[in-house]
Amino acid sequence: MADVLSVGVNLEAFSQAISAIQALRSSVSRVFDCLKDGMRNKETLEGREKAFVAHFQDNLNSVNRDLNELERLSNLVGKPSENHPLHNSGLLSLDPVQDKTPLYSQLLQAYKWSNKLQYHAGLASGLLNQQSLKRSANQMGVSAKRRPKAQPTTLVLPPQYVDDVISRIDRMFPEMSIHLSRPNGTSAMLLVTLGKVLKVIVVMRSLFIDRTIVKGYNENVYTEDGKLDIWSKSNYQVFQKVTDHATTALLHYQLPQMPDVVVRSFMTWLRSYIKLFQAPCQRCGKFLQDGLPPTWRDFRTLEAFHDTCRQ
Amino acid sequence: MGVTCVSQMPVAEGKNVQQTVELLTRKLEMLGAEKQGTFCVDCETYHTAASTLGSQGQAGKLMYVMHNSEYPLSCFALFENGPCLIADTNFDVLMVKLKGFFQSAKASKIETRGTRYQYCDFLVKVGTVTMGPSARGISVEVEYGPCVVANDCWNLLLEFLQSFLGSHIPGAPAVFGNRHDAVYSPADTMVQYMELFNKIRKQQQVPVSGIR
Ligand SMILES: [Zn+2]
Repeated sequence: MADVLSVGVNLEAFSQAISAIQALRSSVSRVFDCLKDGMRNKETLEGREKAFVAHFQDNLNSVNRDLNELERLSNLVGKPSENHPLHNSGLLSLDPVQDKTPLYSQLLQAYKWSNKLQYHAGLASGLLNQQSLKRSANQMGVSAKRRPKAQPTTLVLPPQYVDDVISRIDRMFPEMSIHLSRPNGTSAMLLVTLGKVLKVIVVMRSLFIDRTIVKGYNENVYTEDGKLDIWSKSNYQVFQKVTDHATTALLHYQLPQMPDVVVRSFMTWLRSYIKLFQAPCQRCGKFLQDGLPPTWRDFRTLEAFHDTCRQ
Repeated sequence: MGVTCVSQMPVAEGKNVQQTVELLTRKLEMLGAEKQGTFCVDCETYHTAASTLGSQGQAGKLMYVMHNSEYPLSCFALFENGPCLIADTNFDVLMVKLKGFFQSAKASKIETRGTRYQYCDFLVKVGTVTMGPSARGISVEVEYGPCVVANDCWNLLLEFLQSFLGSHIPGAPAVFGNRHDAVYSPADTMVQYMELFNKIRKQQQVPVSGIR
């Protein structure tokens, strides 16, 4: 344990401080003992009071003295954790039984590994953004320069920020109305109504879209107890198909560092379904194929295709 | 409840009503449509009783009381070009009590019966229209469930109708043009059936109608 000293602890002061704490505790308990015993029998009432007050004063003085002593010593002890680069977790290295609990070395390895991962992820994201063919690519190029270091904290955005992003999108598209609610704590759920064509339930985690279900305009989207029904699918094949495509779109529109752009791109894509029943397929020119209208919308051009007519 | 188009299918050359219906249903089955039970739409005509017409001598308005097996708990009462009332089936009993004001026209009952087919999100009903004992024509109803605005899906409906009606292509129903982007309602379907029945009734007055 000799090398413990190198951590920066003044051991001498440490043991003195412990005895100071003991002294303080006993003087404090003497104060309470004195109060508990009260006034002892003396000949006169005045004598009793005088003796009690003097005794009480003595005890308080000794508490004061012991406290001052402890404060003086605690300054000498110093703050060991501040000197260690890994703060309190550095104290794990003090564990004498390394073989049985190699926590400290594992911790260091995990730390290095996650640092490296973050670094590589940052490089990869930069490269991918340059190659991107998505509609959001141009906006990305501009903002990439002034973007500071990568922030992995987009999962903990304040609800107010999410509200702002959603209400801005709501105002962007007049034929689309977005109703935001938070029935299960901080995660938002959106009910998007697109014209008189369809309704979409969007389950969010912070600004990331976790799940979407597309239903008909005349279909019920609530459960019996009045909550948004995020599990049951549409009764119509066309909306089941659109639900599948919307899920694909969620995987396509991915920019981990700019989740608000992702939501906006997704909603722009979704809006193209306003002509779900009016737009013929851009490839075969027909409305129906196997009884279904063109349910696919190209991610870039937003053109309508049948599922089997897209490349 | 989606958008519905009701039209009349002319009897095929050299065939009778029954044979033409069989031809149609066979085409539907080949397309991949599945049989889903039967359907029935009926209609009875009432005219205002002479006693209520008053001294002005105005012509009595015709009222049509209809039922649709798709809405088994409802009864529809329509005036030509007028409002459509959707009531409970008890309405029939009420009509009996209103005998003093509305009288049932004799032998006016007309109905269509047939098979219901499901194909993807389409519901197709091919029916034989009968008045009394004789078959008078063929009704074809196509409902597209996912859509609620008639004008949005008319082209799509038309393409589907062409896929099994062949050369006979119906025009857009008059109710489609009424309101630009209003939500389609069951009453709109009943208006279409009322118009179809009236058309078939008039055809019957001409002795050389399409019944072979
Ligand atoms: Zn196509």
